[in-house]
Amino acid sequence: MSAAAPALKTSPDAAPQSGARLLVSTLERLGVDVVFGYPGGAIMPIYDALTGTGLKHILVRHEQGAAFAADAYARASGKVGVCMATSGPGATNLITGIANAMMDSVPMVCITGNVPQGVMGTDAFQEIDILGVTLPIVKHSILVRDASEIPAAVEQAFHIAASGRPGPVLVDLPKDVQFATAVAPFGFNVPNEAIPLNHDAIAEAERFIRAAERPLIYIGGGVKIAKATEAVRAFAEATGIPAVATLNALGTIATDAPGFLGMLGMHGTRAANEAVQSSDLLIVLGARFDDRATGKLAEFAPHARVVHFDIDASEIGKLRETHVAVAGELKPGVESLTARLAVAPLAIDPWVIRCATAAAHHAARYDAPGEGVYAPALLKQLSEAAGDRFVAACDVGQHQMWAAQHCRFSRPEAHITSGGLGAMGFGLPAGLGAKLADPSATVVTIAGDGGFMMNIQELATLKRYGVALKIVLLDNSSLGLVRQWQELFFQENYSEVDLSDNPDFVKVAEAFGIEAFRIDRRDQVEAGIDRLLAADGPCLAHVIINPKENVWPLVPPGKSNAEMMEGA
Amino acid sequence: MTMSDTIHIQIDRADGSLQRLIGLVERRGFHIDGMSMADEGVSRRIALTVRGRDAARSIDNLGCQIDRLFGVARIGAPAYQSEAA
Repeated sequence: MSAAAPALKTSPDAAPQSGARLLVSTLERLGVDVVFGYPGGAIMPIYDALTGTGLKHILVRHEQGAAFAADAYARASGKVGVCMATSGPGATNLITGIANAMMDSVPMVCITGNVPQGVMGTDAFQEIDILGVTLPIVKHSILVRDASEIPAAVEQAFHIAASGRPGPVLVDLPKDVQFATAVAPFGFNVPNEAIPLNHDAIAEAERFIRAAERPLIYIGGGVKIAKATEAVRAFAEATGIPAVATLNALGTIATDAPGFLGMLGMHGTRAANEAVQSSDLLIVLGARFDDRATGKLAEFAPHARVVHFDIDASEIGKLRETHVAVAGELKPGVESLTARLAVAPLAIDPWVIRCATAAAHHAARYDAPGEGVYAPALLKQLSEAAGDRFVAACDVGQHQMWAAQHCRFSRPEAHITSGGLGAMGFGLPAGLGAKLADPSATVVTIAGDGGFMMNIQELATLKRYGVALKIVLLDNSSLGLVRQWQELFFQENYSEVDLSDNPDFVKVAEAFGIEAFRIDRRDQVEAGIDRLLAADGPCLAHVIINPKENVWPLVPPGKSNAEMMEGA
Repeated sequence: MTMSDTIHIQIDRADGSLQRLIGLVERRGFHIDGMSMADEGVSRRIALTVRGRDAARSIDNLGCQIDRLFGVARIGAPAYQSEAA
């Protein structure tokens, strides 16, 4: 499958070592530099073996923070993220982060300690069958029962996490296995999983594209994962075919590039959704017809035939009939298609003009009335001020959708968001992980007041390691997206969405030793962004916004993407 | 009534492997109507008779999902037997 897997070499060590030591030396050999974790009883031998090694362990303040940070570290670096936790509650606290990595296909290895094998199955103290608990949310999992198997198991875990369609892999290590000594002469032999290019299917795709009058490229997060960004940009440029992107694919084509119509789906642009509904051919690249992208599936792209490229054959035809299936590596597949199509131009000028006209006509406006902060404008300004080194690590909610709609992204790694799982609490630990992965980047956590409180303890981690993460906290004193749905779909019955008793976030940040300031008027935004970006260390901008502000446009849940609503 | 199909699978004898397979089948929207297992040393051979919860469940897609599991291989795919339930 993927060539992205780490190069695995076997280096037989003759002297017996403890399982814990074998784990640490295997991680070092695999090129791991940062591990996010939290110690506890059943993983103490591993923490003992960590001291004095080249591995940088980041002690988070909650295991969920470790998993989210490892996830974002992987997204920002392209490497496998690593987190570790003890048995029982430590392991269960990782679960939301593991699920997040699974849903967004992020390569991650999670190492858990467990109780000794002799007491497994007896309800021992802090015993949880974490392998069983996590089965539905991992790409694979391995319970290592003999210390001599640790190097091969860990190497296999890294290979599985990174290859093909990436995902999280759990390695569970009972405490007796960590203590036991062994000689570990084994290395994991990387299987040859390459799928040959299906030239017949690519030729068929070319025929479909040449026959289409209104072709459209539908880009998913798989393009970035496959490191096929340049190939897809070249395809779009060579053919002139307009493109739309999913939430997780923003930046694959630069926000302001000609022919790019923006995000499709529930909070997508009108231009993108109209193009999809009018298209007669969708060229789907590493996307999976998620319901937030398609709206009512039966009415999605009703006139379109489908050409679908994906590394994961189970995604092809899963939700939408496919006319040409190209299962395999995206990059060579798209490059081959581009080469075929570059020979003679497509005759799609009327369609291209129609899409561009719609995009110009429906372009977002930033001239909202009033003196309060208009979050979409602030986010656009922020991304422009941060430039090409900008990385947004978003939490989940209205601010996440505004960031997706209004930030300028010049590369897909610039947008880190919890797409599939939609996990509140992701933003702060994700910013931590991304900044550690790419210290030269201008990493900004964009959070709301609800999600920020879910992992607020990680402010202490920022302070401890001096991580210069910038935080824009958009505070509407409510659970804004739920409030918006209650307004629109539940007859304004505002049930349990009021957070007006939030703490003073500036004081909270300062209590953690982090610089913080408040923005509550529009005329403070420019100076506030400058101050935030100029700060040497971590810095939080607490931005007061109107609680009644909604995310527009919106496709109501269960409706067709043709039925977009717009605010007053 | 949806059709039932029998899928033949070779599966490694690893911790959680049976749970992993059966959990996947049920999670992806299939009832398991029958199951037989034969020991083959390091692996096990399993015949699963499955039926979709509704007509939208595709046995072909379930096969692809099973193929994604590690230590699991379909035997003779895609020549599973199909019969009226």
